[in-house]
Amino acid sequence: MSLVKGIKMKTGMSIVLSVRQLKKTYPPKKRGGRPFTAVNNVSFDLKQGEILGLLGPNGAGKSTTIQMLMSTLTPTAGEITYFGQSLEKNRSQIMEHVTFASTYVKMPWRLTVIENLQIYSLLYGLTSSLFFARAEKFLKFFGVWNQRSKAMSQLSAGQITRIMLAKAFIPHPKIVLLDEPTASLDPDIAHLVRKFVKQQQSKYGVSILYTSHNMNEVAEVCDRVIFLQKGKIVAHDTPENLAKSVSSARLRLWVSDGLKRTAQHIKDQGWPVQIENRQVVIELDEVEIAGFLAVLASDGIEYTQISIDKPTLEDYFLNLSSDHQQRRGK
Amino acid sequence: MKWHRIKAMFLRHLYPLKRDFDLMSDMAYWPLVDTILWGVTGQWLSDTSGVASIVATILIGMILWNIIWRAQSEVGRNLMDEVWNQNLVNLFSTPLTTVEWLVSVVGLSLIKTVITLSIITPVMYFLYDVNVLTLGLWIPVFFGLCVMSGWWIGLIAAGIVLRGGPRAQTIIWTLPGAILPFSAIYFSVDKLPQAMQTISWLLPTTYVMESMRSWLLSGTLSTQFLWISLLINILYLVLAGWFFVRSLAYSKKIGLDRFT
Repeated sequence: MSLVKGIKMKTGMSIVLSVRQLKKTYPPKKRGGRPFTAVNNVSFDLKQGEILGLLGPNGAGKSTTIQMLMSTLTPTAGEITYFGQSLEKNRSQIMEHVTFASTYVKMPWRLTVIENLQIYSLLYGLTSSLFFARAEKFLKFFGVWNQRSKAMSQLSAGQITRIMLAKAFIPHPKIVLLDEPTASLDPDIAHLVRKFVKQQQSKYGVSILYTSHNMNEVAEVCDRVIFLQKGKIVAHDTPENLAKSVSSARLRLWVSDGLKRTAQHIKDQGWPVQIENRQVVIELDEVEIAGFLAVLASDGIEYTQISIDKPTLEDYFLNLSSDHQQRRGK
Repeated sequence: MKWHRIKAMFLRHLYPLKRDFDLMSDMAYWPLVDTILWGVTGQWLSDTSGVASIVATILIGMILWNIIWRAQSEVGRNLMDEVWNQNLVNLFSTPLTTVEWLVSVVGLSLIKTVITLSIITPVMYFLYDVNVLTLGLWIPVFFGLCVMSGWWIGLIAAGIVLRGGPRAQTIIWTLPGAILPFSAIYFSVDKLPQAMQTISWLLPTTYVMESMRSWLLSGTLSTQFLWISLLINILYLVLAGWFFVRSLAYSKKIGLDRFT
């Protein structure tokens, strides 16, 4: 069975990208220095039609991983296979079905938007008529059709990002590697991009590897998430399950009577708290909320409003980072 | 090898020609300035020495050097253009292969060199009565040998940039400059100091220039020199191609994103 024309794929496989024991160690920058391992034994799969998020703080190894997946960086060890075929041995054939967009990579600034897109489409073998039809569709969707005859140097960062996205999707790829695709966009355009990405997934079954710093965005767009830290995978699950694994919730109370006693109760428990005017924000385990409210009631403390913020992917991320920093502190 | 990808790279470097004076000036303006400058110098030398063939010797030497320069600068400059545009990662994340990139670059160098020649050849004829076309069927031979020399110089320079990063870019302009005095372009090789002559005979460009001079001064052409030039060119091209491919592999080990 062949999933992609020209590339043989083993029968029954729905994994389009497989990464095994991927490692990248850079040589020391100075004589006598130490080598630096940016990615360390990373393994994961990307399924057909799936959006997989690659998250982590700066220096976690996200971009290094993406670079290796495009073969613009040679791994020190490990194996990358697309459609069951080795990237090392079949790079050109594989890359006909894999595209890339990043906020941090530019296109020739002297060429116009349409010239640049035409050149990239030709690299992927698109016919002229198909290219112009798809370019018009995507540029109109992203609201940059009017900019098509302008040189890249005349565009804003947000416009360039949208054109990079059009570049990635015009060749009708099977897999798209997106490196922080909404980093320089206004909220409304970022929303448009997320909608577009989800559309490409549901309509055409495009598989997407998505890196971002925006946790809400990842939770909205991705089916699964991989957390990288110091080059290693530290968590790997759906955004919902990762958020659930964080037990602490945020309780918000507007205390009308008994603010001092409330503060004392919180202090006794040792919970992190912020008090501003009569608003009290406490971080505590979800299971402790009912007991705490019962204590307030028995003490005659009155509050006018209450809200409970459930843990999010961002909480998970912050939790992970603080754990890591504590371990480093020790 | 896919031709549509080579066509894409052709368009990549031909589109900017429509609107960029700096690219046009490389192809037309500076070769014209060279032609006028060296033509006048040759004429003055000819008048003072009484040797009429000096003008033709200098101008045809200059034209051959222009072919070498254009060919080498296209290889190096096209690579640097991707570096300046932060486009290397974009380009090498597509299905484009190294061989396709190299074929497109040498193809472009041929096109641009022919354009340069078609501009300066009539100027030389009308201003100084020097007709390159009298070389007849030997024109493609001289042209081919010079272009080959330009390619291996360009490949070495591009390979050094890929290894050393953007700060090594000056090599693209300085490497041909280092070869220039050894190639005996405007003078006979025996006028060089003895130690320089040894290096000079290791360069294929020297044999081409000596052949050209012997034809202009005595009317006889040394085919043996042209064969030697061809063999050395082939050897250097193979070595330079190997060096370039190794340099690209080395650059990918460090990461092409260092050029962004």
